[in-house]
Amino acid sequence: MATVTTVTRALPALPEGWSAEKDFKPISSITASTQRTIEPVGPHFLAHARRARHKRTFSEDDR
Amino acid sequence: MAETGGSKAGVAPSDRCAIGISFGNSYSSIACTSEDSPVVIANEDGDRQIPTILSYVEGEEYTGNQAKALLVRNPNNTVVSFKDFLGQDFPSIDPTHCHAAAHPQDVNGTVSFTIQDKAEGDASTLSVSEISTRYLRRLVQSASDYLGKKVTSAVVTAPTNFTEKQRESLIKAANDADLEILQLINEPIASVLAYDARPEAKLEDKIVVVADLGGTRSDVAVVASRGGLYTILATAHDYEFSGVQLDKVLMDHFAKEFMKKNANVDPRENAKSLAKLKAESEAVKKALSLGANANFSVESLADGIDFQLTINRLRYETIGRKVFEGFNRLVEGVIKKAELDVLDIDEVILSGGTSHTPRIASNFRSIFPATTVIQAPSTSATAINPSELQARGAALQASLIQEYESEDIDQSTHPAVTTVKHITNAIGVISLSDDGEEVFTPIIAPETAAPARRTIHIAAPKDGGNVLVKVVEGGTHIKVTKPEPKAKENGTKEEGAEDEDDSDFDSDEEEEEHREKVWKIGTTLAEAGIKDVKKGGKIEVTINVAGDLAVTITTREVGGKGGVRGTLKAA
Ligand SMILES: Nc1ncnc2c1ncn2[C@@H]1O[C@H](COP(=O)(O)OP(=O)(O)OP(=O)(O)O)[C@@H](O)[C@H]1O
Ligand SMILES: [Mg+2]
Repeated sequence: MATVTTVTRALPALPEGWSAEKDFKPISSITASTQRTIEPVGPHFLAHARRARHKRTFSEDDR
Repeated sequence: MAETGGSKAGVAPSDRCAIGISFGNSYSSIACTSEDSPVVIANEDGDRQIPTILSYVEGEEYTGNQAKALLVRNPNNTVVSFKDFLGQDFPSIDPTHCHAAAHPQDVNGTVSFTIQDKAEGDASTLSVSEISTRYLRRLVQSASDYLGKKVTSAVVTAPTNFTEKQRESLIKAANDADLEILQLINEPIASVLAYDARPEAKLEDKIVVVADLGGTRSDVAVVASRGGLYTILATAHDYEFSGVQLDKVLMDHFAKEFMKKNANVDPRENAKSLAKLKAESEAVKKALSLGANANFSVESLADGIDFQLTINRLRYETIGRKVFEGFNRLVEGVIKKAELDVLDIDEVILSGGTSHTPRIASNFRSIFPATTVIQAPSTSATAINPSELQARGAALQASLIQEYESEDIDQSTHPAVTTVKHITNAIGVISLSDDGEEVFTPIIAPETAAPARRTIHIAAPKDGGNVLVKVVEGGTHIKVTKPEPKAKENGTKEEGAEDEDDSDFDSDEEEEEHREKVWKIGTTLAEAGIKDVKKGGKIEVTINVAGDLAVTITTREVGGKGGVRGTLKAA
């Protein structure tokens, strides 16, 4: 699952005087979501089900 | 829309021989996999699209095209279009398509048929479940003959609006045919899987419309495909515009032409003539998907009179226009229902036998922007045969799960695993356009199921230095640019280039406004600073959304050490 998209448009420079603890500033949570049903079909679903049933994260799954 | 997996007739994984089955009201197909790629199996008659028909003559059982041919002389002992009746109470069925074959009857609420299925003695009353069992047994036999070993198990496709009761009833009918159902999967998803499983397919986040145009029904689904996980966003079903209506259009055409020469003889008024007219009209319709002309020819069509006539595709497209427009409306309607725009649709998969029709694909081509891929035989050289998609998808799924215990399959298909939160807005970062304007760059698409993880590599400012990774939500809107009002060009209206455009709809005449999808920047979620990036460097940003929608952001210079990591709590 390690497909990486490459973007050529550049990120902005850090504004003068910007500072944050450990260089990370949390601001808000993501917008509430909808519950939907994923179709239990295909190889990627099987990987999802395996993670869900063994309560594993993506990175644990990678190892 | 829950899937039903497993069955009582569990077979040990090591003893399984599994296939995929698409079981339609009009046609069915069987498929297996060979070295991971799907193969649709021809039955003993050499057919891969096997009419879903069962017929009895003097105690002999016929299926497929042999049974279909018997509609002319043995309609009362021939059962057609029964599949959707499974699990339905008699009062709720629509028996229209059984008109010229065995009629469904109400036996204590159960849909049944009275058939002379033995050489001697009384006719039998057979429930739709029994009919289905007998038909499925024949399909399984054909597959077993092809594979040289007994097929024990199958993944079968079902319409998305098949009720739980219909699903149970289908599983029972299969079990009674000594067939274990590993899983019932939704038809449009089988078609998407058939495309995604091709070796050249790339794993991309996309919105797909699956238009399944069959014989007696048309079903359309909008599917979000995200990292290979599929979520159905909306569905629509139509029983008014489908393959048989196109047969009907041709039947009326040929009947009228016949009556021009033979006044007072209407081949539609005599059961046998009608059956011949219908069979030949369907054959003509199929021929018109390939060629520019087709020949209608029936010996003794009515009153002992032979009839022969050629029709060209343009004529067919003109007389079938109402039906074709019905397909357009169905597709446009379901996109609206999903609260999307045609610009949001990355791909349209044409599935089902009627999807062979070039006009339908070219109509869809004109509804969608040029960037939308239309997967149909007449618009794409790499399209998969629309009649085979569902069986192929089912066979692929069968090969994926046949090694699992049925209990494991049941657990994995349980709502506890399949019902999950989906991200509402896109998540991405702010980057700069050429003229220095802030623009949204998506990393995770909306409607992605959680948990999800995506990574991008994005350029740092040209000279490197300290870089801001500003993570935000994004949404899209459709930007409409009206053309400059310009003097109307003198009406050199293009006169129909033969087979195109002639029967076209007025919309093409309007001045075209330009519509495009643009991102707008939403709520800021977090900021991260990456220091001392080297000149020409790149930044890696990984966004990981947990099942509860907590977000972990990790970002660093590609090839650099350390990096920044932070989390956002779930709301
Ligand atoms: N090459 C073709 N060109 C045009 N129409 C075709 C072609 N091949 C098959 N069809 C039509 O497709 C229809 C059958 O579609 P399909 O095989 O998807 O059946 P199905 O799923 O059993 O249909 P349903 O359940 O809606 O009755 C029939 O009306 C048939 O005439
Ligand atoms: Mg179908």
